[in-house]
Amino acid sequence: MFDLKKYRKKSPWILHYNAGSCNGCDIEILASLSPKYDLERFGVINTGNPKQSDIFLVTGPVTYRSRERLIELYTQMPEPKVVVAVGSCTCTGGVFRDMYNVEDGIDRYIPVDVYIAGCAVSPELIIDGVVKALDILEKKSKEMEKPLKLFKEAISENGVVNRRNVALKVGEVHEEN
Amino acid sequence: MKKTINIPLGSQHISLLEPVRFKFECENEKIISVDSDVGFVHRGIERACTTKFKFDAIGYVVARVCGLCAITHSLSYTAAVEKLLGGEITKKAKYLRILLLELDRIHSHMLCLSHTCENAGFEAMFMRIMGDRELVMEIQELLTGNRVQFDYINIGGVNRDINSEVAKKIIENLYEVKQRVLGYMDEFTNNWSLSLKFKGIGALSLDDAYMFNAIGPLARASGLNIDVRNEIDYLPFNEVGFAMQTQSEGDINARNIVRLHEILNSILMCENVLSGLPEGAIFTKLKGKPNGEAIVRFEAPRGELMYYVKGNGSAMLERVRIKTPTFASIPVFSHIFVGENYADAPAILASFDPCLSCTAK
Repeated sequence: MFDLKKYRKKSPWILHYNAGSCNGCDIEILASLSPKYDLERFGVINTGNPKQSDIFLVTGPVTYRSRERLIELYTQMPEPKVVVAVGSCTCTGGVFRDMYNVEDGIDRYIPVDVYIAGCAVSPELIIDGVVKALDILEKKSKEMEKPLKLFKEAISENGVVNRRNVALKVGEVHEEN
Repeated sequence: MKKTINIPLGSQHISLLEPVRFKFECENEKIISVDSDVGFVHRGIERACTTKFKFDAIGYVVARVCGLCAITHSLSYTAAVEKLLGGEITKKAKYLRILLLELDRIHSHMLCLSHTCENAGFEAMFMRIMGDRELVMEIQELLTGNRVQFDYINIGGVNRDINSEVAKKIIENLYEVKQRVLGYMDEFTNNWSLSLKFKGIGALSLDDAYMFNAIGPLARASGLNIDVRNEIDYLPFNEVGFAMQTQSEGDINARNIVRLHEILNSILMCENVLSGLPEGAIFTKLKGKPNGEAIVRFEAPRGELMYYVKGNGSAMLERVRIKTPTFASIPVFSHIFVGENYADAPAILASFDPCLSCTAK
């Protein structure tokens, strides 16, 4: 049978969005998919569809025009998902910090898992970041698939197991898990 | 009842490197009108150049307008400031500037060719050209220390000297690139499945190119012989063997062939630069603050790039205006799309080699 748990880490799909960068990091992402660096050997494929992708590569300081589109793309991706910020200006705003049409970095709006520094980022660093993102993806999917306990351990008295009063209250569920 | 359908392309799409939105109005398969929106990546660099940064740092800031033609941006700004300061830079610095400018043109054209092939559905050619492009990226890294954003040019010269080992490596790699490019030339002219996607598609006539003020490879593919390298004298392009490349058909195939010929010409220029590299310093110190106005034009990989710089004798400039090649070409883009099949739109778009982060700044 097709086992999603096992194969998600083997073939993660990438969604790439340019939120106002200078193209430098975008062509380095293309270069890291090309034969010399070959990111595709990890099973990664570049797709344009947010609804089928697992890793979100964002470049550029978020401009006011691209901000709503960035968040729209993020919300359309299914869980579990990992966000990778590619480039100095994506992490902090970089050289574009405090310009009038720019938000400083994407972590003002969406949670970021991996930060990659550099202007422009080299393909080696992009590969390193994506491999780190794969580990985080595996961790996140394990957390999602962990069963939630709704009962306490049953108490046994004189050889008789007492199953009364073992249901957990709402507040107690998180303590138990 | 309405007979047309509206199809949006963008702002995020698999065939696009950067956000731009086209709204196509289609009747069956044919595109009958186009509406474009290019301002997604506007950051406000022109304003920041006059309020945030001093004039000697702006050369590195304007490089971040566009990563693909970064060198042309910083070179144009630096040439404008050098005009205002009134100094003369050494001949060796000029030659090294030409060398990096042409290396940048080679890698930009190769990226455009591979992207055109990918959007036409020819994935294998995309991988081949991207793999060979690494030869050029390697020598750029050796020469400047970085692969994309070079920060090589400063006011008064260049930042790094070249030594004989680097020069030898450049000659070796360029020879390799030349053999590969001759191979593509054969592929682009004789491959039957590529010809179905490229020949006769997205054609622009000479009259239209003249009327819409087309520039760069787009105009040269239609037979309009404009190239800024032929018209300026800040850098000695004619000394190192510049030759105009034109075609007459004006379709996607002609644009590809023009780009391939320009790569060959650029390789020739690089080899001439290295063989005739003069001795001397790479940097001369220029004193003073920019005062007055200057206009500088350069040929970026996509066409004419214009800088206007106005200073008032202090460290902060009064105005920096950047006119980029793609901005001037948007009317031509919209004109070419009309009457084509919608299925060809991504390939036509990639063959223009649009640079939206240049356009929006």
